[in-house]
Amino acid sequence: MKYIARNILISSMSALLLTSGAAVAETEINIAGWGAKSGPLRSFGINSEAVMSAAVERVNQMGGVKLADGSMAKLTYNYSDSACNAEQAIAVARKEAADGKSLIGIGPTCSGAAAAMYGVFQKQVDDTSDTGLQYPILTDTAVRNGLAKISQWTFRNTPNEPEMYDRLWAWVAANHPDLKTIYGGTETDQGHSNGTYSKVIVQAATRHGFNWATGAIEGLTGDIASGYKEVLNNSSNWLQADTSFSVQARAFRRSKADIFIISSHPFTTCGMLKELARQRVEPKLIIGLTSSSSAEVMKGCAAEAEGMIIPTSFAPITEAAAEVAALANANGGDADLHSAAAWENVMIIKQVIENVGITGDPAMIQQERRKVRDGLEALTETNGLLGKITRVQDEGEALKPYVFVQAQGGSWNVIHDPR
Amino acid sequence: MNFDHIDIIQSTIDGVLFGSIYALIGLGFTLIFGAMHKLNMAYAASGIAGAYTGLMSLTILGMPVLMAFIIGPVTAGLIGLLLYFACFRFMPRGNQLAPLMASIGALFFIDELIIHETSGSPMSFPAVLPDAYFFLGEFGIRGDLLMVMGFSFILMAIVMLLLYRTKLGLGTRATSQQPVAALLCGIPTHRTNGTTFVLAGVLGGFAGCLLAASVGVLSPLLVLPLTIKGLIVTVIGGLGSIRGAIIAGFAVGAAEGVFLLVRGVNERDIYVFLLLFLFLVFRPNGLFGTTINRD
Repeated sequence: MKYIARNILISSMSALLLTSGAAVAETEINIAGWGAKSGPLRSFGINSEAVMSAAVERVNQMGGVKLADGSMAKLTYNYSDSACNAEQAIAVARKEAADGKSLIGIGPTCSGAAAAMYGVFQKQVDDTSDTGLQYPILTDTAVRNGLAKISQWTFRNTPNEPEMYDRLWAWVAANHPDLKTIYGGTETDQGHSNGTYSKVIVQAATRHGFNWATGAIEGLTGDIASGYKEVLNNSSNWLQADTSFSVQARAFRRSKADIFIISSHPFTTCGMLKELARQRVEPKLIIGLTSSSSAEVMKGCAAEAEGMIIPTSFAPITEAAAEVAALANANGGDADLHSAAAWENVMIIKQVIENVGITGDPAMIQQERRKVRDGLEALTETNGLLGKITRVQDEGEALKPYVFVQAQGGSWNVIHDPR
Repeated sequence: MNFDHIDIIQSTIDGVLFGSIYALIGLGFTLIFGAMHKLNMAYAASGIAGAYTGLMSLTILGMPVLMAFIIGPVTAGLIGLLLYFACFRFMPRGNQLAPLMASIGALFFIDELIIHETSGSPMSFPAVLPDAYFFLGEFGIRGDLLMVMGFSFILMAIVMLLLYRTKLGLGTRATSQQPVAALLCGIPTHRTNGTTFVLAGVLGGFAGCLLAASVGVLSPLLVLPLTIKGLIVTVIGGLGSIRGAIIAGFAVGAAEGVFLLVRGVNERDIYVFLLLFLFLVFRPNGLFGTTINRD
């Protein structure tokens, strides 16, 4: 009996040692995530991390990522706070690139921070005179048009606004032929809101035959960015932290436009919508900025936003998208057009790692980062939550499927699905 | 933007009405500066934090809207007291910079606390009189801002009464003018200062709730602009001058409205800051400030 007990004890200990030995030997591939987890745009980071965490867990549930030798590696991630601040985003990027632990980064959520951060990366690969960071980035959330081409190491999986708004205005023209005139405003201190409004949205409307309600704008031809300074001068704008919109709402009212464009983030979108309602201004249609198709607008001003139409690259309308939305909620975040991209990004990274053959050897991290970069550049198409995503190789950008949503009864409902 | 004299008058009216919130914030800054000759940079943040607490009483506890305007100011008053102890009471008297820096730290601490609790998302705050918008000929006047203005006048009258008709006010003014002499006369100066912080905090809480009700949304984005506007109002009105804070609040609101109309949103704040600069250079004591020598 004593002999049997001893044997059982020895066998158990051996099994335990073997198991723990296996765990130690398990290769890990690390992804670095960073975004705004403090500051007024904290929800970006919260949501992005919630989705990223769910995606990494899903990859590991499926066995992890396949390495060059056919073995499976566990995917891990760490998430840092870059607070939507350019300096902080650059600091995190430098740290991640220097410490050699992560294969690739997903960050920094905010367009302003991304624009500055991309600037410290090597512009052209193999340019020995450029000592910029040589570390691949696949950004979610940051939507501002045309950022990824700043460096050949930077890639994005965010909506393509020129394409989305072009199709949106085409749809409005076809479905509301009685509406002819537009007028709008933007928060001028927010790069994304301002740039998309003055260079993309108004031009797209012009291309589809809509006229500026208060008279033609000089230089506005319909081409992207045409006459953008005059567009801003002729609009009634506000700032991101403004609290009074009386003057602007009166200008909207006086324009007598059929369609109002409100290109801003949720806080001022709600402020402006509430002021319009207060002044009894009732446009026939309101078009909003992509970023406002989020839960925040519904929390802040659902009644006033009723009827607003926005193009978005995420809505829980497919089984996969609905599942990601549920997983994000379970992780304490929301899946929206910004954050849902983090799921796709993790899946894209898994695909690239398996395509290019990564060893997971820490000594080869720099060569493997380069392989991943090349793999990202070579991608022509990836699977997204709403369908196929086409990659724009020379720009590092994506062409994502999208839908048009409308605020109806306190939620965003899909009113048109051009996929 | 095209505009005529009607627009200028309308923008001035809007600005003056909205300026009543600036006046309340400026009044709080002034009260504290008047009492201690120190700036409490976390003052507006405590007002917004109070407004958030008021909102929580509605959303979490399901209380009636009116309770937000009671719980908010009371909480802001308590935060004010906490700030007094944390940033002023025990700071070395000779080091003028210490309480200033401590209160700046408290400002960012409160701001970040709000952001962490709300994820930075804007939250809907129940509007008071949301449909009250009066058209008088070509002019439009917001009923809720009229109410805010009336309410501000009542609060200002209460503060004036407290300061000039009560023992507490006498103590506050004595402490403000000659703290050592006040102490020798038996006035508990620390308690008087603490009470002033609570009073200012309550005012800030009202201002926070009124601002949130007039915008209809509460957001941590409100903290910094309100702090800056409060400081501008305090300086233009004259540091320590209650009358100056009130008048400067309305004046800054009106100036903002007109500059927004005439020069656009990108230049609006430039002119408001220019106004501050001009006052600092040519009239450093503001509209009604006086130079008081302390012990």
